[in-house]
Amino acid sequence: MSAPPARKLQLGRVGETVQRVDAIPKVTGEFAFSSDLFAAGMLWGHTVRSPHAHARIVSIDISQAVPMPGVQAVLTHEDVPGAKHYGLEFPDQPVLAIDRVRYFGEPVALVAAEHPEQARRAASRIAVEYEPLEPIVDAERALAQEELHPNRPTSGHGYREDPRPNVVRTMVVRHGDPDAEGDVSVSGVYELGIQDQAFLGPESGLAIPDGEGGIDIYVATQWLHVDRDQVAPCLDLEPERVRIHLAGVGGAFGGREDLSMQIHGAMLALRTNRPVKIVYNRQESFVGHIHRHPARIWAEHRADRDGKLKCVRMRILLDGGAYASSSTAVTSNAASFACGPYAVENALLESTCVYTNNPPCGAMRGFGAVQTCFAGEAQMDKLAAALGVDPVELRLRNALAPGDTLPTGQKLTGSLPVAEVIRRCAAIPVPEPDGLPRDAIRLPGGSGNVTRGEGVRRGVGFAVGFKNIGYSEGFDDYTAARVRLFTDRSGGLVAEVHCAAAEVGQGVSNVLVQVARTELDIVDDVLLAPHTTATVDSAGSASASRMTWMSSGAVRLACAAVREELDRRGGSLDPGEEIDIERIYRHPRTTPLDPETGQVTGERAHVAFACAAMRVVAEVDTELGLVRVAWIGTAQDVGKALNPQAVHGQIEGGTAQGVGLALMEEIQTEDGLITNASFTDYLIPTALDMPRVVAELVEDAEPDAPYGVKGVGEPPTVVSTAAVVAALRAATGRELARVPVRPEHLAGL
Amino acid sequence: MKFVRPESPEAAASSLGNGSVALAGGTDLVPMLRDGLVQADELVFLRDVVPRGVQSGRIGAGTTLAELEVDPELPQALREACAASASPQLRSMGTIGGNLLQATRCWYWRLRFPCYLHGGDRCHARQGTHREHAIFGNDRCASAHPSDPAAALLALGARLQTTRRELPVADLYRLPTEENRNLTALERDELILELDVPTPDASVYLKAMDRRAWSFALVGVAAARFGAETRLALAGVAPVPWLLENPSALEQSTPLPGTAYKVEIARALVRRALASLPTT
Repeated sequence: MSAPPARKLQLGRVGETVQRVDAIPKVTGEFAFSSDLFAAGMLWGHTVRSPHAHARIVSIDISQAVPMPGVQAVLTHEDVPGAKHYGLEFPDQPVLAIDRVRYFGEPVALVAAEHPEQARRAASRIAVEYEPLEPIVDAERALAQEELHPNRPTSGHGYREDPRPNVVRTMVVRHGDPDAEGDVSVSGVYELGIQDQAFLGPESGLAIPDGEGGIDIYVATQWLHVDRDQVAPCLDLEPERVRIHLAGVGGAFGGREDLSMQIHGAMLALRTNRPVKIVYNRQESFVGHIHRHPARIWAEHRADRDGKLKCVRMRILLDGGAYASSSTAVTSNAASFACGPYAVENALLESTCVYTNNPPCGAMRGFGAVQTCFAGEAQMDKLAAALGVDPVELRLRNALAPGDTLPTGQKLTGSLPVAEVIRRCAAIPVPEPDGLPRDAIRLPGGSGNVTRGEGVRRGVGFAVGFKNIGYSEGFDDYTAARVRLFTDRSGGLVAEVHCAAAEVGQGVSNVLVQVARTELDIVDDVLLAPHTTATVDSAGSASASRMTWMSSGAVRLACAAVREELDRRGGSLDPGEEIDIERIYRHPRTTPLDPETGQVTGERAHVAFACAAMRVVAEVDTELGLVRVAWIGTAQDVGKALNPQAVHGQIEGGTAQGVGLALMEEIQTEDGLITNASFTDYLIPTALDMPRVVAELVEDAEPDAPYGVKGVGEPPTVVSTAAVVAALRAATGRELARVPVRPEHLAGL
Repeated sequence: MKFVRPESPEAAASSLGNGSVALAGGTDLVPMLRDGLVQADELVFLRDVVPRGVQSGRIGAGTTLAELEVDPELPQALREACAASASPQLRSMGTIGGNLLQATRCWYWRLRFPCYLHGGDRCHARQGTHREHAIFGNDRCASAHPSDPAAALLALGARLQTTRRELPVADLYRLPTEENRNLTALERDELILELDVPTPDASVYLKAMDRRAWSFALVGVAAARFGAETRLALAGVAPVPWLLENPSALEQSTPLPGTAYKVEIARALVRRALASLPTT
């Protein structure tokens, strides 16, 4: 028996901080984003979009555009080679509008030309005659208005029957006795505006015909294989003839789950037999992807005198906009996690998402849990006030613990250290208020120079949030990884990892390599192959905080198989010899929720859960209504930090996105038209708006996950909006039931 | 589209109109060209012909906001108003002349609703969404003027030299009328060349905005003290920069339902601005 091979790779294993492979290139400007791609002989594509939120298309006349200089193709719905509709989950969205447009900015026609300006000019010559229709813009009224999708694309999929017009999905969770009374009851109506993912890299990509009728599409996306499976039928091609390759992603946050330019670029490229590049401008980007669902939430919390929750009742109305996207899953998530990470014996949770002519909504970081956390945590603070109990103490008294049952009837079998997360966060010392006088830049109002401390009050808020990790409700989710082992010229062993996991800035590229280094410590080097559909099966989506868990599971399985094979061959490879193994990883199986009761139909509807607690110190200039978020402390349940620095990055970034929703981010609409589709008018936090974030990583291994890991991207976004607004309430005493909270809601105290 | 470099200010001015548009820093013009709010066949580039730089209180209209914000010769209110404007990138390109003439952010106007400023018969913002809009001079058009430096220059009593005349900055602006929907009194072929800025005993600019940096004024207040007299001017509260006769003039404001909070903000800012001016 030979001695085990010596461990060669010493650095960059699981659990160690590893500098992001894309960090330096991004900072120095060398990183190629999807908008930076070029190909010889490339054309530029341009999309003609609807100026109406709702209209009938009377006619489309392209005759004036076709002879314009440089124009190589002008396409409409008639030119879609295959299926005329597509969709992430339900094919309810036309590739190009046929006889009706349902939202502002909906694609109607395409142009490819030698120069982008030529494409734009030709596009302006396409005459589309519209007959404007009354837009449906109010989610409540939509339930009694004409059906936008009379064929009800989401019905017949096992969801609850809801005969009201324009329902995308209704989900009702009935748990225990929904009429159970308590000693105290608090209620409120809460509202959240439409948040945009506001990624800085606009939708963009390059489609290159392969000369044999197939197509290669280089694009910034979150899920390569599901893109392929939507693109191929519309092009009338076998899936293998459509190859999706990940191009540099400039942010995603859920907004790249749905297709943008993929089919359009491919149609133009196949028609002209030339590469076609499409890059959305900023305004187009705002209409070119789905957004976070705006919500109205009616909540009532009943508790006994000791502060133990007896019953939670919540009705959630989500505006899904014109097409289904992932709204059905968001609807379910909103109801499933409406009670927060608290043990509740009785609950009635009703969540409905409707079609309207507002901007389409779908996946965004937090996915339904952001909305209910904002309402639920405000309710917990109201309850604490009504009972005279410390808000942190009230949360501890109700904290979910392993063995408890969720409102869906699912028993918590894995890790969810709610109480520990609360305690760890509460134990982070809150800094003393900065003294006065101090520079205006360190006071509310920032660079506006408005105060030296006059009118400023300090408030401290606390909130806890949670959501699921991974796809749920019976979705057959998996991730594939392939590892090739070979010897390089100097005889060293090299592992090449293939995985279609989309690197969207979350750092999964590092994770893939870290896992291979850990599992194959006999190799001299680990290489990461391009993320593509061409060489490996699906990795699933970079969403639901699932990718690190799933892809590390898959790479680990593939590495183990490679190692076993290597051992079988005697522990070494000859030059030219290789081992090449692909493996598929699946998380524990889930089953659907019962459509009538919202209760689990098997052991679990959700794979696992993660939670975070956050304390926010805010200063409010109560005369001007201006805010400075002064400090944030958080403790997050991360399972196991595979790359601690990247985990901290996710926590800071995710927190900033929640701060944005709390204070400034909202897509404004007027009869369905987006009126602030620019970064001049849609504000996102700057570095000056973000305080220092002190983050504690709570490592409580998830039993079913590789290395005990949990996803970390979403919990900070779920909790931070609620925590920031809690601090504003503490500073001002105002109810602040709607986000974003703007100066007019705080001024003149 | 043609790009021309005129030989002199006069040549530049006389070529304007009929599809010829003046281009300085381009931070306002280029997005408007993109959005179809300005149509142009010819861009007349001003960099070579409009003065740039500061000399004994006279500011070339081609001076960038970034240059003004660090010039120790200039009154504090102007420097602060420049520093509080936009982002460093935009301030490095945008000129003071262009800043005085920049268009409103009213999105009804930006989205080309047939509003009063576009020659229509009503202001859509008055009945519509208008939290960013005006509390003064808003009976026909409720847009808010976006310039911070304009309010500072108004409080400072600056004078402008154009290719045609000299005028107080206050006279650059006008409220729209039935016959003339323009918000400035500048002729079509007239260029701002220089600004003459008096030196006050003390001055300050305070700006309340939706974000802690890089956003337009909800309310900006400039205060400048000359001996016993203090002049106040406001940004973001009227279709034009607004001279406030005295603090109690705020009681004559005519806020819309959604802009009433701006009166509260203006009251507090005026009080703070006055309090922050050192007395003799």
